[in-house]
Amino acid sequence: MNSLAGLGRPSILAALALCVAATVLYAAGALSKRVDLSRAGLRALQMTFAFTALAGAALLSALVTRDFSLAYVANYTSRSLPMLYTVAAWWGGMEGSLLFWTVLLTGFAALACRRALATSERLAPWAGAVLAAVALFFLVVLAVPADPFARLAAVPADGKGLNPLLQSPAMAVHPPLLYMGFVGFSIPFAYALAALFTGKLDEAWLRLTRRWTLFAWSALSIGIVLGGAWAYTELGWGGYWAWDPVENASFMPWLTATAFLHSVVIQEKRRMLKVWNVLLILLTYALAVFGTFLTRSGLLSSIHTFSQGPVGKWFLPFLGALVIGGLAVVAWRYDELRSENRYDSLLSREAAFLLNNVLFVAAAFTVLWGTIYPIVAEFVTGTRFSVGPPFFNTVFTPIGLALIGLTGIGPLISWRAMRSASLWRIARTPLATGVVVAIALGLSGVRSTGALLAFSLCAFTAAAIVGEFARGSRVHRRRDGLDLVGSLARTVARNRRRYGGYIVHLGVVLIVIGFAGSAFRVERQALLGRGESMELGPYTLTYQGLRTWETPEKAINEVVISVDRNGEPLTTLSPQLNVHFAQDQRQSEIAIRTTPVEDLYAVVTSIDRDGDIALRAFVNPLTWWIWAGAAVMLVGMAILLAGVPGAPSTAPVPARRAEPAVLAR
Amino acid sequence: MRAGALAAVALTALAACAPSRAPEDIAARVSTKVMSPFCPGVTLHDCPSGRADELRLEIQRWAAAGMDEQAILARLEREYGPAVRAAPPAEGAGWLAWLLPGLALAGGGILAWRTLARWTSAPGAPTAGQIEATPAERRRLEAELERAREAR
Repeated sequence: MNSLAGLGRPSILAALALCVAATVLYAAGALSKRVDLSRAGLRALQMTFAFTALAGAALLSALVTRDFSLAYVANYTSRSLPMLYTVAAWWGGMEGSLLFWTVLLTGFAALACRRALATSERLAPWAGAVLAAVALFFLVVLAVPADPFARLAAVPADGKGLNPLLQSPAMAVHPPLLYMGFVGFSIPFAYALAALFTGKLDEAWLRLTRRWTLFAWSALSIGIVLGGAWAYTELGWGGYWAWDPVENASFMPWLTATAFLHSVVIQEKRRMLKVWNVLLILLTYALAVFGTFLTRSGLLSSIHTFSQGPVGKWFLPFLGALVIGGLAVVAWRYDELRSENRYDSLLSREAAFLLNNVLFVAAAFTVLWGTIYPIVAEFVTGTRFSVGPPFFNTVFTPIGLALIGLTGIGPLISWRAMRSASLWRIARTPLATGVVVAIALGLSGVRSTGALLAFSLCAFTAAAIVGEFARGSRVHRRRDGLDLVGSLARTVARNRRRYGGYIVHLGVVLIVIGFAGSAFRVERQALLGRGESMELGPYTLTYQGLRTWETPEKAINEVVISVDRNGEPLTTLSPQLNVHFAQDQRQSEIAIRTTPVEDLYAVVTSIDRDGDIALRAFVNPLTWWIWAGAAVMLVGMAILLAGVPGAPSTAPVPARRAEPAVLAR
Repeated sequence: MRAGALAAVALTALAACAPSRAPEDIAARVSTKVMSPFCPGVTLHDCPSGRADELRLEIQRWAAAGMDEQAILARLEREYGPAVRAAPPAEGAGWLAWLLPGLALAGGGILAWRTLARWTSAPGAPTAGQIEATPAERRRLEAELERAREAR
C-alpha cells in the first residue's frame, strides 16, 4: 500500500510560507487597525493549519502503511507493532512529536482566532500575530533540523520498532494530553501579550481565554497523572513519580498554571494582581517551552529523553526571546498594570490566594532549581552532583502540605475581609476532623510524621469542602424543598465554577492520600527457585512455575506466583519478562493486584538458565486513591469547563462603600 | 487550643520512632538515596537493570553483615564517586541547592506580606457616620450574607 508520505515535506513548506503570511498580515492588521488585513491573516492561519494537518496525515499514513523509506517510520515502528502503538509512534519520537505539537498549535490557534475578531477587534489581531509567530518557529524547526519526512538511502525490510516501554495504553494517551496542555497555554499567553501590546489591560483577555486556560490545565493535569500511571505499570520500580527531569518539565508549568488559575479570580473579582497574572502566564508558557527544550537538548539524563539531536539549540534562542521579550513588554506597561483596588484585610480570600500563589511559585522554583542544579553546579564548581528524589521530597513536601492546608482554609475565608471569630466558627469542625484523624492514626500505630500531617490535613480539607457543599445544599433544601441529591445538584449547577473547583480540590485531596500511603510501602527482593517463597508483610509469594511462548513481536516468559495472605490462599500473580525481537530488548510486564487498601505489585527482573528468578515485590498502600482522585478531578474539570460562559460568570465584588463598614474590619 | 497542643505532642512523640533496621529495609532505604550507576538519571531503587538488582542484593548483604546506612552510603560514594548520592551534600556548593528554595519561599512570603501590609487599609475605630451593630444584628447580617452568597 502506498503512503501519502510524499505530501509531507511540501505540506510543511507550504504551511511555513502561509504562516509567514499570517504573521505579517496579522501584525500589519494590528498596527494599522485594518480589519481586512486581520481577516486575511486569519485565512492564512487557517490554511497553515490545513497544510500542517495534511503533513500530520501524511506521517500517519506512512506509519500505518509501514513506509520504511522514511527514517522516522523505520526508527519507531516495525511490521509486528500493534496498530495502537503504530499510531502512537507519531509522538513516540522527536520529529513526529514536534509535528504533532505543531498540528495542535496551528489547530488551536485557528480555532481560538476563528471568531476572535468579532469579540475583540483590538486584542484578536495581536493574539493572532503572536500565535502565528510561535507556529512559525515550530514550522522552521520541522523544515530544517527535525524533518519527519527525511528519506533513507536504503529502505530496510523492517523497522526498529517502538521502544517496548512506550507500548502501553497510558503512553498512547499521556503525551497527546501533555502536548494539549502545553500548546493550550499558548492561547492565554498570546492574549496576554496582545493585552500588553494594545494597552487593553482590563479583564477582557482573561475572559476570552478562560476556557482555553481551563482546558489546557485539565489536559496537563490528566496527562501528568497518566504519566504516573504509565510509570507505575511499566517501569517496574513500584512507584509513579521519580522527580525525573522530564517529569519535572511537565510539573513546573502545571504549578505556575495552577497559581494562574487562582490569581485570575482575584483580577476578575477585584481588578488586582494584573502584573502578576501576566507574569504567571508568561512564566507558564516559558516553562512549557523550557520542558520541550530540556527533553530534546540532551542536557540532562532521563529515561524519558528523546534522542539527542540538533533541535535543543534551536529552542534556546526561542525561549530567550519569549522570556526577555515578555518581560520587556511587561516593564513597558508596568504603570498601567497597577491594581485598581486595595486589600481590605490580611484575613481575606485575596490574601489567601496570594499566599497560595507564593507557595505554588516557590514550588515551581524549587522543582526548576533542583532540575537545573546539576548543570549549574558543574558549570560553576566543575563537580557533578546528582539531584534526585531525596532532595525533591525533602524540599517539596512542606510546601505541598502547606498547599493542602490552604486548599481547605482558603474557600472558607470571605472576600475582602472576615472577622477571625467568623472564621473560627466555620473552620472549627474541619479543624477538629483533622485533629481527630491525626490522633486516631497515631493511636492505631502510624509512625510517619509526614503521613500523619498529610492525612490530617487531607481530613481537614475534605471536611471543609464537604461543609461548603452542606451549607450550599441546605439553602436549596429549605428554600426549594429538594432532597439531598437534588439540592446538591442544584448547588453545583448554580455556581459551577465554585463547586467544580471544590470537586477538583477533593480529587487533589484523594491523590495526596494516595501519596501519603507510600510512607507505608513494604518491599522485598529475592532470588527464587521453583517452589521457593518470599515473605512480604502479611503476604507469602511462592514461585510456582514458568510458562513460555512466542508472538511475532516478542518471546514471553510468564512467571506464576501464588500468593497467600496470613497463611490463606489469596490469588495468583503472573508477571512477565519478555524479549522484544525488533529491539532485542528485555521488558518486564508487572503484575498488580489492586484494591483501595493496598496494591500487591510483583515484577520479575531476571530469569536464569535454570529458570530461577529475581523477584521484586511491593505492598503499596492506598495507591488506588491516586487514580480515584484523578477521576474525581476529571469530573470537577468537566463541571468547571461546562460552567465557562462567554461572559464573566462571577460578578465583581462590590466597591467598599457597599460593604457594611463594621464587618469590613 | 488544648486539642492542638495535644496533637502536637502526639506527633512529636511519633516522630521520634526509629525506622526499621531489617537488612531488606535498610537496603531499600539506601537504594532510594543513591543514583544508579547503571541507568542515567534514575535512583538505584528505580533502576530496572539486572546489575542494579545485583547491587541492591549486595547492599542487603552489607546491611545483614552489620553495616549501617551511613557506612553503606560512604562505601558507595567511595566506589562510584560523589555524584552517586541522590542529593547534594549540605556543605560547600551543595549548600546552595538546599538554601535557595527556602530563600525563595521566604523572599516570596516577605514580598507578599509587605505587599499586603502596604495595600491593606489600616483598621480604625468606626467613624461618626458608622453605626456599631449589636452582636445579634451582626449574626443576622452574616447569616443573610451567607445565604445570599449560596443562592448566587
